[in-house]
Amino acid sequence: MSQTNLSTSNSKVFFLKILFPFLLVLTGLGYLFGLFFEKEIILNSKICGAYKVNRIIHETYSNEIPIFGSSRAEGGYIPDMLGTNYFNYGLDGTGSSVMLFFLKEECKKTKKSSFIILNFDLSGFEHSLGDISNYIYNADYAPVKELLGKNYKTSFSIPFIKYYGQYEIYLKYYLNNRMNLTKYTNNGASIEKDKMTDARFNELVAERKRTTAFFVKDTALINGYLKVLNDNPKRLFIFVVAPYHSSYFEKFENFPEAENFLKQLRKIKNVRVFNFSKEIYPDSLFLNTTHVNYLGAFRFNKDLKDSLSKISY
Amino acid sequence: MISSIVANMGVLAVFKYYNFLNDNITGIAHMFGFTNHIPYLKMILPIGLSFHTFQAMSYTIEVYRGHQKAERHFGIYSLYVMFYPQLVAGPIERPQNLLHQFREKKYFSYENAVLGLNLIAYGLFKKMVIADRLGVYVDQVYSDIGNANTMSAIIAVIFYSFQIYCDFSGYSDIARGCAKFMGYDLMYNFNRPYLSKSVSEFWTRWHISLSTWFKDYVYIPLGGNRVSTSLWYRNLLIVFLLSGLWHGAKWTFIFWGALHGFYLLFGIITKKLRAKIKSVLIPAKWTGISIFVNRIIVFALVSIAWIFFRAPDFITALKVLQKIRECNFTFNLPQLCGEKGPLNLMLSVAVIITLFLSYYLPRDMKLKYSAAFLTITTFLIIILGKDVSNEFIYFQF
Repeated sequence: MSQTNLSTSNSKVFFLKILFPFLLVLTGLGYLFGLFFEKEIILNSKICGAYKVNRIIHETYSNEIPIFGSSRAEGGYIPDMLGTNYFNYGLDGTGSSVMLFFLKEECKKTKKSSFIILNFDLSGFEHSLGDISNYIYNADYAPVKELLGKNYKTSFSIPFIKYYGQYEIYLKYYLNNRMNLTKYTNNGASIEKDKMTDARFNELVAERKRTTAFFVKDTALINGYLKVLNDNPKRLFIFVVAPYHSSYFEKFENFPEAENFLKQLRKIKNVRVFNFSKEIYPDSLFLNTTHVNYLGAFRFNKDLKDSLSKISY
Repeated sequence: MISSIVANMGVLAVFKYYNFLNDNITGIAHMFGFTNHIPYLKMILPIGLSFHTFQAMSYTIEVYRGHQKAERHFGIYSLYVMFYPQLVAGPIERPQNLLHQFREKKYFSYENAVLGLNLIAYGLFKKMVIADRLGVYVDQVYSDIGNANTMSAIIAVIFYSFQIYCDFSGYSDIARGCAKFMGYDLMYNFNRPYLSKSVSEFWTRWHISLSTWFKDYVYIPLGGNRVSTSLWYRNLLIVFLLSGLWHGAKWTFIFWGALHGFYLLFGIITKKLRAKIKSVLIPAKWTGISIFVNRIIVFALVSIAWIFFRAPDFITALKVLQKIRECNFTFNLPQLCGEKGPLNLMLSVAVIITLFLSYYLPRDMKLKYSAAFLTITTFLIIILGKDVSNEFIYFQF
């Protein structure tokens, strides 16, 4: 047999014995694994960002009072301490643009409960998506796709492959939710249990004192919020500023602007504002300078519950 | 030959060592109250420069020595210097092994294709699953060494040993696999180095193409060990200092090389004494224990040297060593997990175990069930791979 013919027959054998079975089994195995993983891991963990995004889009609980916000919401609000129907939708690393997305989705729903709690960060109106793993499961849903913008990848439509590099993140959420080994979890809330060393905390405080903080104003985002508030007069929007460590304010350049914005919000009929930012909590109640810890969350939720009970709407 | 070596070394000197030298001149001038006005060069380092200049020099020397016929075809010579699978991080090939392969006509071969794919998959697994996973912990500890304790520093040091091995040997496997798929054979660059029983054995198993390059073209021409004892020691030190310098224009790399040179000298000087101590402590029939202890000691020594290789500067390296010396074993979970959580730590340990399990695979990757191996490896890469764009560590050299 000539070399060319041998080469052709070799390539046929290679395709039939290696490439074809490899692609076939990998596709089948990957597809089945992907389905199992989505059902049993991703959507089976209430603290998982992807679960929260899916829940706000596809699930309606008539009496539910949602809590929206960033990691300060996720790790600061304990739903069961506030009442029976609260759910914490807080997502680590996200900014106001994501909270606005949640808010819009919430307002599409017809519900008995009118309360919506929004954790307001003094850093203001920032565009930050947080972890991309939060969105992949619903990446083809138009508002999510719009939110993702340039971060949307075509691979998000390919089963199994779309979660490449993210499997561990989902598994981590799942294990934390099940085992509560390093985190205390409760209806979407995920609060760090471990305390960092005093030396490390002091380092963070010193670093914070050197860092300038700003209240960022983004007109488009602000208008987006105001539109939702005005379009939904039957809903009550409760803006809450969770506590900050006192060091946070040492180099806060435009704090009066943040206060002014909160003042403006208070003037809106269907808005309430609770500002706990300068409540003096001891160091032992903080995880770092912007987040309360496990004990701090208990104290804060007790204070918040008292404030919420005084609302008449 | 001299003009060729000068030209090659000149390119390396300008691109890689000029600014380093200038930095040192500035430092010395500053010490004596002078100002250095020699300008710095702002140039992008050509990719894989250290590798292909050494490969080019290898050709010149072998032709000069009469071990290789001069290649008259410029295209084939260029292909030898810039053969793309091994262009950026080796193995640094010899002309005797590679040049003749470019003259052979290649046909698609089932065996080559399967072996090539197996090697590529194994290399990708080492890089994307093992090295990148371990890098998460290592990067965190080295970037925030102040927050580490003894345990996390030790773990980071151990993890880095495996990270750099899997990163670099992973690349070599991919390079060999790509070449094999096309019908070309590249040399083995690694041979399970952490199973070495002595530092000198380690250097016969680690980055084989570079260590043999230095042996053939520097150590032996200097006289090797066939000279007086003091010259022999000098030769060893020169080779290791040059090896350190080859890795990068930084004092930490030079120190890393010097440390290995020191290990070797210490090993030679204390050989008889160590044998005596061993015979007292470990009975002769306990060969297994003796081998195991030797491997642990070699691993520990090599890992300590890696601290200087990994650290961005001496201060960080000394801080890592200080953390280890503190012997602070107070339990703090976030610290123990390198602030990256217990799952990452568990997965990191698990991937190291898979590395050792993979040692049961045949060394030449001739597997009975290649399709199954490829499927399982690809599946594991997808579910365990880190979504980070970490380039190969040796690309910087």
